[in-house]
Amino acid sequence: MKRRLALQRVALLVGGAVTAPSLAAILNSCKSPSDSAGSAFTLSSDQKSLLSEISEVIIPKTDTPGAKELNVHEVIEILLKDCYPEEQQTHFMAGLKDLEEESKKLGGGFVSLDKENKLKVLEIMRAKATEESEKNAKAKEAAEQVDSESGSKKVDHMKKDPPTPFFTIVRDLTIFGYYSSEYGVTKEFDYLPIPGRFEGCVTVGPNVKAFS
Amino acid sequence: MNIQAKGQESVTYDAIVVGSGVSGGWAAKELSEKGLKVLMIERGRDIKHKEGYDTAMKESYDFPHRGRITEQMKKDYWAGIRTGYTITEATKDLFVKDVDSPYEETQRFDWMRGYHTGGKSLLWGRQTYRWNERDFTANGEEGIGVDWPIRYKDLAPWYSYVEKFAGISGEKRGFDVLPDSEFQPAMELNCVEREIKKGIESNFKGRYLTVGRVAHLTQPTQEQQDLGRTSCQYRNKCIRGCPYGAYFSTQSATLPAAQKTNNLTLINDKIVHEVIFDDEKKKAVGVRTIDKNTKKVEEFYSKIIFINAGAISTAWILMQSKSKTHPNGLGNESNQLGKNIMDHHLGVGARGRWEGFEDKYFYGKRPNGIYVPRFVNWGTDKRDYLRGFGYQGGASRGNKGAGDLIGAELKAQYTQLGGWGFGMTGFGETLPDERNFFTLSENKDQWGLPIINFDAAWRENEMKMREDMGAEAATMLEAAGLKDVSIYNTLSAPGIGIHEMGTARMGRDPKTSVLNGNNQVWGAENVFVTDGACMSSSSCVNPSLTYMALTARAADFAFNELKKQNM
Repeated sequence: MKRRLALQRVALLVGGAVTAPSLAAILNSCKSPSDSAGSAFTLSSDQKSLLSEISEVIIPKTDTPGAKELNVHEVIEILLKDCYPEEQQTHFMAGLKDLEEESKKLGGGFVSLDKENKLKVLEIMRAKATEESEKNAKAKEAAEQVDSESGSKKVDHMKKDPPTPFFTIVRDLTIFGYYSSEYGVTKEFDYLPIPGRFEGCVTVGPNVKAFS
Repeated sequence: MNIQAKGQESVTYDAIVVGSGVSGGWAAKELSEKGLKVLMIERGRDIKHKEGYDTAMKESYDFPHRGRITEQMKKDYWAGIRTGYTITEATKDLFVKDVDSPYEETQRFDWMRGYHTGGKSLLWGRQTYRWNERDFTANGEEGIGVDWPIRYKDLAPWYSYVEKFAGISGEKRGFDVLPDSEFQPAMELNCVEREIKKGIESNFKGRYLTVGRVAHLTQPTQEQQDLGRTSCQYRNKCIRGCPYGAYFSTQSATLPAAQKTNNLTLINDKIVHEVIFDDEKKKAVGVRTIDKNTKKVEEFYSKIIFINAGAISTAWILMQSKSKTHPNGLGNESNQLGKNIMDHHLGVGARGRWEGFEDKYFYGKRPNGIYVPRFVNWGTDKRDYLRGFGYQGGASRGNKGAGDLIGAELKAQYTQLGGWGFGMTGFGETLPDERNFFTLSENKDQWGLPIINFDAAWRENEMKMREDMGAEAATMLEAAGLKDVSIYNTLSAPGIGIHEMGTARMGRDPKTSVLNGNNQVWGAENVFVTDGACMSSSSCVNPSLTYMALTARAADFAFNELKKQNM
């Protein structure tokens, strides 16, 4: 959390509006390299459909398109393949399987469930993610050694963080994929590719959208 | 270009400039405008103005990974990713692929490089500040490093000269700590920044907030328009190259000016690794290069040579330039070459929330922020460390984001305007220290050239200053009315400021410095160094403007000496 805040600050300092993609790039770049470059990660057609349905629950069609219509699952797959280490990919796959098992307890595969039950399954996955994060945080705290001289905690920055829980990453990637898409950037935000001028203090009404 | 076939005459120029970044571009412009035939040698590929900025007009969805870096990129740019903001899918091709040009770290050093026409002038932060009088006298007064051989008054007319050409936007304030430049109209502060300014200036005597001074055109002169430059469009995608030529870069400004003279030849992909010194003539006669692609070795000759390869690479070239007269590297009688590496230490400051102004926003994406000039160890202020720091930062508000939501509620909220935040981070002066240096490793790169090994660290004075940088920021922000003010202090390694300086310092004595007061290499007076390597101290302000002024001054001196047949 600390790092996230620090990065938000970096974004602030860059000046002006920082778009979601650039912030994500900042977040991503803090992790250490792994060996999964050019990885063989791939989703089966069933898994693609499943991911597409999950993303649609996170960002559904309203008066504007949902994640499914924008094929957000496709970019999620590319990002998982190229931008994450193998441990994260494996963890994601396990999460998909777990989500299917939770769905079956409610009467069938996730894709076949009604809207209400889909939401229920995602809330179950969210609760699991919260639990997992808390466990990870405790483990990290226990692993931190206290320097006997200074009394301050030694943090091993090279140590890999555990993979992000399934619900957290699928939600983050859905949001990122949706709002960094052409539709997201140019229609959901107030698209301002070439402002041409800068005015420091402008009065606006309620329900104003941020620039992209 | 079949140079060698044409014989030695065809590889002989009046002047050679090594490197095409901020200072190399200036050297090429000044010397070619004076009528000299100039060869500018760039070790990387050519990037053409406008058409070479491949990603300048792209949006996130134009990139396969929407701008994010991949696992492969983390390996290829293992040093570049350390800043956390420079390497993205949109910018990576403007940075050195670290695996291709590796370096070693006895202690971690974050070395950011751009090997291409324009160098880091395409990538810089564009913050532009003059040094003050005491920046040039502090070393001598305090017995730190060596005394600068020049003073503010020596550089002041050259500051004016380069500012008028480059185009600097800013507000005249008359601070002694931060002398005014020749300004084009300032960019505006936003609503919250105006409040913070009032809060700081009314609560703290001698502390001020002004809009960042940046090398962006806001009212281009005829000269700038004739070079094809236009006003800033407020897209804030500067680091990808500016198709409007609105910020100062080699491509937008010095290169087209030099090319107008028809006196400039630019060659790419040739790595200068040695200055050829003639022991009989007691002067340098040219440079030795290796072709990046074919590895062919070639020599080029000239009467004067400007080495502007970037602070670290410039010293690396001088180290490899050994002769009977200069057995320890060119101009290195002092053994100071490669030592006294300085940077600015940062990553410490404070931030907070501004309550209110929900009906206020801004229009456009200002590629700039605020500046709070140094106030510690200034006037009657005294601290238990030397020198000082300034702050850069700003206020902004973006979209609300998702919170914990999913579903239609998430969509309804995500792009709505969120609250205002303000943050500022300190840029601290680093003292020159012989313990901070690099050496040539036993290991060689793919061209058979020695790899650089860094051994530098922040020292006691910097660490003490950092405590103050956080605490003073928080004190000011609280007084200015921000809520939830918190201090952050993230220590990184030297290099992170991308302001490397000091590896071939100017001085008054060849026994303690590498360059004299005209940026001439001691004992090889027709060789000039005017990039970050020449700096005897680091000030706390961004250094590029000072490189520009020093370069124009040295080029003028070199030309006059050449006319007097002293070269």
